[in-house]
Amino acid sequence: MNEKEAQNEQLENILRKAHLPEPSSELKKRITAEATKAWNQIPTELPWLIPLRRLAASAAAAIVIIWLANYYSEHTLAQWHPVNFTDASRHPSGHEALPEMPYGPLMKRLAVLNRRPAMLDTSALNDHVEKLRQFLNEQQQNGISRPSVPSGDKSYLIPNQTSFNSYS
Amino acid sequence: MYAKKSNCKKFINIRQNGSDKLSLLINRSWNNVLNENLPDNMLRAALQRNDPAAVELIWERYAIDLFAYLQGVLCSRQDAEDVLQTVFVRIVQKRHRLAKAHHLDAYVYRIARNEASSFISRRKRERKAKLVNESWLIVLEDKQETNELAGQIKAALVCLPQQQREVIVMKIYRQKTFLEISRLLGLSRNTVASRYRYGMEKLRTLLGDLIL
Repeated sequence: MNEKEAQNEQLENILRKAHLPEPSSELKKRITAEATKAWNQIPTELPWLIPLRRLAASAAAAIVIIWLANYYSEHTLAQWHPVNFTDASRHPSGHEALPEMPYGPLMKRLAVLNRRPAMLDTSALNDHVEKLRQFLNEQQQNGISRPSVPSGDKSYLIPNQTSFNSYS
Repeated sequence: MYAKKSNCKKFINIRQNGSDKLSLLINRSWNNVLNENLPDNMLRAALQRNDPAAVELIWERYAIDLFAYLQGVLCSRQDAEDVLQTVFVRIVQKRHRLAKAHHLDAYVYRIARNEASSFISRRKRERKAKLVNESWLIVLEDKQETNELAGQIKAALVCLPQQQREVIVMKIYRQKTFLEISRLLGLSRNTVASRYRYGMEKLRTLLGDLIL
């Protein structure tokens, strides 16, 4: 260790035999002249301008981000084709069950595309609606404002379990 | 009882001597602080007044150190002159920030370091062979032996990584302490010391013929 230190000292002494030149007077003249020229050229930077400039830059960045988000959203919505009524009526429960998400339209579209085949029979549903309409018309024609309760204390408006089962 | 009294007297004497020494120490250190900070304060005041005379003050305070540092980093006197000019222009451009900086010298060195790094990245071609021949390291006596020695030292320093070389140059040729170097370069003292140690080890290998 001591030998190493002695060698280091020796090495330092050798290195100190040489030295780095100092800047010449010509260089001083040249550089100070150039720096003074730059000093006079550059207008004084007001200290309160710095935070103002930062604020403006932040606002500009925020505007750009919001604009990009809007643009992307509109672009996504333009690509989205709404499903027709029959398709939508086939899957009412699944559609409503989707939670609210930031990319709602896109996710719903994906969900619709990836859905399994329809489980409900639309013709049965149409028949039921038609029956209800006929019943209401009849009631209207008879001049009865209050809906009557049929035998068995069950309303026609509320389909029973068997009729529900017939849809599937 | 008597022993206790004498102990008390001794303790009081020690305390008095100690407080005198302490006050002397405080005065000395305070004077050092004042002496060290005086040019900084003058420079800061000139910068805040927007006085162009600050250029002269900056030159007087930093030119020699910065020039040595840049020569050590770039291994070229010509390049160091060019970069020094760029550094001064950059300092003038950032004079309001410089006036607010906690450590003026650290801020100035940071500018010099950044300018040197960007200069090196611009200077893409390998110039080691050419750099050895440049007269960025000189000897006082103009003899053949000493010139050869300078040549050997230059060749060895060029072989070092830049980070080790800059520490060695600041320590050997500008007599800076590790603490000062660490403050100027924004590094920890241990990092500076280890860079110096590794650099010296490499130099010991490279200049082994010169060491007896």
